[in-house]
Amino acid sequence: MLVFTRRKHEAIMIGDGVEVRILRVGKEGVRLGIVAPPEVRVHRREIYDQIRDANQSAVVTPGQFTQLADRLKKAK
Amino acid sequence: MTPAHAAVETEITVSEAVTFPDGIPGFEACRHWVVMAAEAATPLRRLHAIDGTEASFLAIDPRSVLEGYRCELSAADRLRLGAREDEPLLWLALVMMEPSGALTVNLRAPIVINPRTMTGQQVLPHNCLYPLRHVLLPAE
Repeated sequence: MLVFTRRKHEAIMIGDGVEVRILRVGKEGVRLGIVAPPEVRVHRREIYDQIRDANQSAVVTPGQFTQLADRLKKAK
Repeated sequence: MTPAHAAVETEITVSEAVTFPDGIPGFEACRHWVVMAAEAATPLRRLHAIDGTEASFLAIDPRSVLEGYRCELSAADRLRLGAREDEPLLWLALVMMEPSGALTVNLRAPIVINPRTMTGQQVLPHNCLYPLRHVLLPAE
């Protein structure tokens, strides 16, 4: 892992297009500003992890698929 | 499901598939997906990744789950989908089977597809406060 010491208003560049700037340093946390091109998606890590876990639990086998579709159809 | 359904799967080529440039979280290598109607006249769809780790998902139009469901796409999301202003987009929420047997649906991070550009992505809207696991059917 690359480690930098940065102060308020200082920034780092990742590649040519992504800038991470320190906006505020407080007791509760550090506020970051991120400038990135639109094709680069930026998310809080814990949100990304939650979505990944949900996606992994959404995988269905062909057998389950029919069973789930039937259950949903019956419930309508 | 039906023989016709099975035939559809074998005939699919990448050119008929929806491209997800980043895959979806957990399935980053799945760039090409097909969307199939689970059955006529239901809001259920089957999403199947045809590359990366092949995976199938059951998905449902979130507006059929929750009336008035609405998530705002960011300008960057629209750009990635090549979506024009007011262009009709396909919204799908992934269905999950919980260990309890309950069926839940991810209304928090919907899959959005632009049928014109055949581009899709899973959106993680910052302003979307719908639940990650909205109960669709309780455990049997």
